[in-house]
Amino acid sequence: MYRSPPGARGFLIAIGLLGGALIAATLFGLLMFWALQAAFPRPIDSAYPGYLILVFATLVLIPILVLLGRRFPFLTDWYYLLPAITFLLAFTVFPIILTVYYAFTDYTGIRNGKPDRSTETTIVRVEGRRLFVDGNARELLRCDQPDCAGQALEITTRTQRARMRVEQASSDTITLTAPPPFAPTLVYKINEFSFIGFRNFVEIFSRAGTVLIPVLLWNIIFAVGAVFVGAIPGLTLGLLLNNKNLALRGFYRTALIISWAIPVVISVQIFTAMLNVQFGPINRLLGLLGAYPIPWLTDPEWFKVSALLISLWLGFPYWMTATLGTLSTIPEDVYEAAKIDGASGWQTLTGITLPLLRQPFIPLLLGSFAFNFNNFGLIYLMGAQPGVEGRPSTAQAADILITWAYKTAFQADGGQAYGLGGAISILIFFLTVAISLINFRFTGALKEVR
Amino acid sequence: MAALGRYLGWALFGLIAAWLLFIYVPNLLARIQPNIPPGFVRVENGWVYALGGLLVIVGLILAYAWLVTFIGNRRAGRKRSFWPLFGQGLTHLFMFLVLVFAYYPVLQILAASFDPRNTLYRILPPASDNLLVRARVIPDFSQLSWENYIKLFDGFVLYPYQAVLLTVAALCLLLVLILAGYRRIIGDDQSDSRWGRLQGQSLTAFALLSFILVIFLSPAQFTGQGTEAKFMLWVRNTLFVSGITGILAVLLTATAGYAFARFSFPGRYSMLLVFIFIQMFPGFLGLVATYILISNLGLLNTFTGLVLAYSGGIISFGTWVYKGFLESISKSLEEAALIDGASKWQVFTKILMPLSAPMFVFIFLLQFVGTYSEFIVANLFLTGVDSWTVGMGLRNFTTGQFSTRWGLFAAASVLGSLPILLTFYGFQRYFVSGYTAGSVKE
Repeated sequence: MYRSPPGARGFLIAIGLLGGALIAATLFGLLMFWALQAAFPRPIDSAYPGYLILVFATLVLIPILVLLGRRFPFLTDWYYLLPAITFLLAFTVFPIILTVYYAFTDYTGIRNGKPDRSTETTIVRVEGRRLFVDGNARELLRCDQPDCAGQALEITTRTQRARMRVEQASSDTITLTAPPPFAPTLVYKINEFSFIGFRNFVEIFSRAGTVLIPVLLWNIIFAVGAVFVGAIPGLTLGLLLNNKNLALRGFYRTALIISWAIPVVISVQIFTAMLNVQFGPINRLLGLLGAYPIPWLTDPEWFKVSALLISLWLGFPYWMTATLGTLSTIPEDVYEAAKIDGASGWQTLTGITLPLLRQPFIPLLLGSFAFNFNNFGLIYLMGAQPGVEGRPSTAQAADILITWAYKTAFQADGGQAYGLGGAISILIFFLTVAISLINFRFTGALKEVR
Repeated sequence: MAALGRYLGWALFGLIAAWLLFIYVPNLLARIQPNIPPGFVRVENGWVYALGGLLVIVGLILAYAWLVTFIGNRRAGRKRSFWPLFGQGLTHLFMFLVLVFAYYPVLQILAASFDPRNTLYRILPPASDNLLVRARVIPDFSQLSWENYIKLFDGFVLYPYQAVLLTVAALCLLLVLILAGYRRIIGDDQSDSRWGRLQGQSLTAFALLSFILVIFLSPAQFTGQGTEAKFMLWVRNTLFVSGITGILAVLLTATAGYAFARFSFPGRYSMLLVFIFIQMFPGFLGLVATYILISNLGLLNTFTGLVLAYSGGIISFGTWVYKGFLESISKSLEEAALIDGASKWQVFTKILMPLSAPMFVFIFLLQFVGTYSEFIVANLFLTGVDSWTVGMGLRNFTTGQFSTRWGLFAAASVLGSLPILLTFYGFQRYFVSGYTAGSVKE
């Protein structure tokens, strides 16, 4: 086949061939890895590194691709996409699929499907399916069931490991459901997680009134607010600096980009220090103007105001630059014509400049909204938030969906409930898709591609 | 219909404004406790003085504008209004205030970095005649020292050959800066002029030398006691990870962007959609899954693992931007080359790659800057002070278990943001054009 078969068939053939090659290569890598382990066993605490699988897979993938390219020359077009696709599959798609799966389980920091090293128990003797331990097996393994029935275990020797299940355990004996493949020396309990269906989603929606809805509402307000507090000052500055007669305009323009150029991890932390109630310079300055100390970071409502204030500082240079960039594309003669017709400065602004800015600004506004909707860095780096009654510590006053999900999944006070965090991520995904679809509809980006 | 929509819009806007003004703001103000903590300077009705001062300045500008225009008109015998000059004066005043707003955090952090006394949480006001200093609105510069910076370099051993490399690299950077200034003065904006080429060469030399330095700097050279003495090692780690991630981003997106822009294979549109929609899943919530993957590959606590974890992040956006860039280039040259018997790969490497340098620089810089200040993923994948990144180190200074080491945080922030500040200002053009090129098509 020199030319690609047209339409969906060609697409499916190409995807099938490439996917087949990738899967075959990965399987080969795995087989080689296992073969290596079986042929030259190494102790499990210094086992062969897993990336050898990737090395073996790459070694076999290249000849496969060359052969496929000879047989189906049209496939070479796809080879240009292959590096990007492979990395996307491995480091984006695979984690997404796994996260979606976890969203339907009760996976947490403890129930993570891994052997619990604190339950390490020495096996003194093995007889058929029975393992004899030194001491009370039930206490050593800390089983969920009283007789440990159905408990998953990991048994190891110095070079081998396997997963088994318990039929029952008595005082010093563990009876497995099947005889172990080798004589183990150590045994660990495995903290299993299980499939729980939609229970995570039910939990989110059953408490929607106190958590999901307030968080989502604030999330939208924050995203809209952050766009406006950045865009309006930025637009004003851009319009002012567009005045060709203004001295130093190049200097102002360059100097004001500073907050765009400082890494967010630094600037947000500086701001949280500056907004300190008692010691922060901002309250000190306001104190000189007659204000009492403002609880910027200690009051839930003021915390939100602070988040928007920091957004203003972070966001205006982008909008200033965007305004200046767009204005530089408006031809000069439009203004001259307006001047000849006797338009005042205000009329020129509202009649010419702003309408001409609208078209290029819509995609920027929507893009900025989408960015701020998931602006994890800002909210997370602002640090500990004042508590709001009736809400969990993972979803406080200024928490947006993404920080809520992160704190649920990764912080100790959220119980590292990764399954629940995954469920929130799925909600975020659908919301982001909805926003982007609106974005594409407005900008026509997808039409253009077609 | 349109008119109705507009009225509704204004009505909604009015409602929101009224709610903000009459309900939300009073509520916010009611939350302020009218008590004064110790050391807090409050001036009753201070805003009256401030406003008065501002009005005086405006008056002075008005007088100046009127006077200058009056004298100018007298001399040249013409009649011009003084309002445009007044407007410019006001603009300058406004810009000055904006500059103060933008640089105030920078000033504070600079002052804190030179202050050895950890000044953020001190109750006693500094002894000064200046009210602004006493209220600590303007930092107290009476005790300047390099102590915080010295702590960051404590016990850092630089081998002689590295010192030589560092000097040469610094000289190259200096040359770049001098040339940039000189070329601006003589109005030379051609990149292939004599000076332009020299500037490009010295920049490349600087990049290469820094890369060599970054690679050959080893943890053994940091013999200081405290964690903060490893700061330069963190910078090195961060530069290494960010640089490799940036290069990987360019490598992965370049060919994909080319294929999307120039080939018309079946399934192109669907693949583009897949690329876009994958990007919408909140990336780092796949972290546990990525963690499991990297841990199974045996790459935990290695920079390779971290780079791999970052690599997925920019592929979609980079491909999309590069595709847009290529579509804006005329196809005629490539078509001629294809007719002359060049292969697609040759067209890409010989014709398009040299043209795409600005876009590659943009993609590289975007990923470089993004990775540089990232700390969540790094925090999960790297353990041990020796492999920390700048973001993790900075976070450690402010959330350390003992106390907030504010002075060290400040000094580290100043030094840590320098590489990004330099890249940003040095490549401003690429950032601005890249963002606008990307956003128009986005």
